[in-house]
Amino acid sequence: MRTSLVKIARIDSYLLGDDPSEDALIMQARLALDDDLKTDVNAQKSTHDIIICYGRQKLRQEIQAVEARLFTSAKHRSFRDQIKSIFKF
Amino acid sequence: METIEGPRALSRERRIEGWYEELFPTVCSYIQKRGGELDNAKELFQEALVIYYEKHAKTGFLPEKVEEAYIMGIIKKLWLRMNSDKKEMTSIQDLELEEPEKPVELQTKKLLMFLEATGRKCMELLQSFYYDGLNMKEMSERHGYGSERSVTVQKYKCLEKVRNEVKQRALGYEDFLS
Repeated sequence: MRTSLVKIARIDSYLLGDDPSEDALIMQARLALDDDLKTDVNAQKSTHDIIICYGRQKLRQEIQAVEARLFTSAKHRSFRDQIKSIFKF
Repeated sequence: METIEGPRALSRERRIEGWYEELFPTVCSYIQKRGGELDNAKELFQEALVIYYEKHAKTGFLPEKVEEAYIMGIIKKLWLRMNSDKKEMTSIQDLELEEPEKPVELQTKKLLMFLEATGRKCMELLQSFYYDGLNMKEMSERHGYGSERSVTVQKYKCLEKVRNEVKQRALGYEDFLS
């Protein structure tokens, strides 16, 4: 892998808690001294959060699509009738 | 319903449909008896499915009890949280719910839209690892890579691409905390 990807992989290992404790300590020491590294680590942490947001959004969309289908398709009429009877409408 | 491998055993869509068919009526009964409406039931059910899915993806967690009973436990806790009924809270011993999800900031929404439009393939790959919790073997199978090494390299390339976009937009970690 090219050098930039090796650096990405190292930061990922640290952020995901995969580093052995001594490596994590070394990273923390480097972060205290290297502003560029700190920027990269923060940006990568933000990137993880963006990916989680993306994944969650996709899951919600899938759930909503399934729910919409269950409440509209002819195939699931008995399911709809069951729910309607519970809420009495 | 099969629970041996949890939420990823069947296709996700089929799994979600199964949860609705088998559990949503019970959830509706629970909510209706406590004065809630269908919209409450829909909202809480969606939230519970997200919570359960993420717990499994993050930790490999599978409930000791029947899966439906576990999801029902999440629903009850969410309902109590929604209604702040402190008396009933003390009798529920189940899982601990994390703090409610904070609304997504506008900057993040814009970035997500951009990434969806320009880097969907990368985002799907990254989602598989960081959200769905797949290992490299599973990722190489899902995304059609010949080896774990090649999908690993692609994962880091995609991560670098998204990280560069984050840096350009100067999205700091603090933006996710506010």
